[in-house]
Amino acid sequence: MNAFDFAAPTTVEDAVKLLGVPDAEALSGGTDLLGRLKDYASSPKRVVYLKDVKALAGISGDATDGLTIGAGTRLADVLADKAVKESYPALWQATLEVGTPQIRNMATVGGNLLQRPRCWYYRAGNGLLAVKDGKSLVREGDNRYHAIFETDGDALFVNPSSLAVPLIALGAKAVVAGPRGERTIAVEDLYQIPKSGKDSELTLAPGEVVTKLVLPPAKGLNASYEARQKQAHDWPIVLASVNLNLDDHKVASSRIVVYGVAPIPWRSKAAEEALAGKLLNPESAAAAAAASIAAAKPLSMNAYKVGLTQTVVKRALMVAMGNRYWEG
Amino acid sequence: MRKHDPKNGEEPGGASRRDFLRGSGLAAASAVLTGAATTALDEARAADDGPKVLSGEVEITLKVNGEDRKTTVEPRSTLLDTLRNRLDVTGPKRVCDRASCGACTAIVDGDPVYSCTTLAVTCQGKTIETVESFDVGEQGVPHAFHQNDGLMCGYCTPGFVTACKALLDKNPNPTLDEVRRGLDGNICRCGTYIGVLQAALDAAKAMKGA
Repeated sequence: MNAFDFAAPTTVEDAVKLLGVPDAEALSGGTDLLGRLKDYASSPKRVVYLKDVKALAGISGDATDGLTIGAGTRLADVLADKAVKESYPALWQATLEVGTPQIRNMATVGGNLLQRPRCWYYRAGNGLLAVKDGKSLVREGDNRYHAIFETDGDALFVNPSSLAVPLIALGAKAVVAGPRGERTIAVEDLYQIPKSGKDSELTLAPGEVVTKLVLPPAKGLNASYEARQKQAHDWPIVLASVNLNLDDHKVASSRIVVYGVAPIPWRSKAAEEALAGKLLNPESAAAAAAASIAAAKPLSMNAYKVGLTQTVVKRALMVAMGNRYWEG
Repeated sequence: MRKHDPKNGEEPGGASRRDFLRGSGLAAASAVLTGAATTALDEARAADDGPKVLSGEVEITLKVNGEDRKTTVEPRSTLLDTLRNRLDVTGPKRVCDRASCGACTAIVDGDPVYSCTTLAVTCQGKTIETVESFDVGEQGVPHAFHQNDGLMCGYCTPGFVTACKALLDKNPNPTLDEVRRGLDGNICRCGTYIGVLQAALDAAKAMKGA
């Protein structure tokens, strides 16, 4: 790892100032940044430690009025929160299997949302898009864990945040502090598909810090379901979060968001449309799951993710209904 | 403001600029001519009470196993390397160095964390416990590992013992499933998990008898 300057501000204003220079990176739990530094995937001139900013941590509110989760809240504290567990199970379930006990004691919600992609070509120093001599290392190489949606361009990595998916499904907003003041954006607007090697997959400007996540009141049914290669500390292969608002047993509106399939947290509008106005039952869940994969264009080694996505979306909907049929 | 440099105590503002320039040496001195460093300097001037920017070598004090230990590190030094190479606390092991294997586990402010993925400068003022401080008597976790053959090559053992101690400190009466989840962040390459899990359950019983 290269040397860097280090600062540990105690206020958001100081953090914003310190981060507002080129080549500065924010450090919170460090579970992503330290790995990137060690692999020389990132070499910032300045590292700004955010965990001394006490205002960033903590959970307030409730399911009736909505919940506010500080971006510096550790994942272990999210899991320990009663309101999250009881009223936002989509978020609780997705957080439960992130990393390990040690990781969850270190990692924060903001850090999970803003971690950089785990694509091995990117981590090995080939740049975010991993294009070399005009050729895509991902497309021509080992792409078993890469994207199956939006694969016409060069961005073939998958967004690595397990928490972005439930937060987007729940309609959460991110409060962002920056040099020009505070702004509030939808969590999905933290992400973009980079068009060139100069773009980032994150939309934050230099000096901007996510301070908190604001979840609307928990009204409908919400759930997450994930599939892993094995039950060990790794990322899920596919994770789906659903949030359904029912009107007389029919789906009035829904959000269905999938992890592990696209360079951004993938909101499946096709699945949502398939479910709209339908009675919520195993048949409509299966139809929505089938719709969710219609636009998939897998790479050479990851066609398995198409079927997996269909199953995971269906099961997430079934979990929301309280029907875990596969457990017998 | 947190004290990151004991030499300067709580003196705000001015000291930070001096440190920034003195500590960063030649590299930063030439970089001052570039936009980035100029901006940083202007900023430091503008915010006289702003936090210090540390660079180069930093003197820190870590509370390790109940003792205040003073040492010099760079901001990039991990807690693991600082414990092992500067303070001769070699219980935590450097194995994967990527927050994956658990051999470096230390207990910071009561929570097990990966010391390989924690910067030492962020640990000032926190309580750091390593396997060296644990009770090695019959009520302790190490004894239970010994009694249950909870090790083969032994390289993962300090991490497992530490994760186990942290688990039992918070949950003195865990079920087998809770032990599995609590020790989920540690890997044994030899595969001696059966002994480890039994050691954790036995240690829970033994600690209650203490």
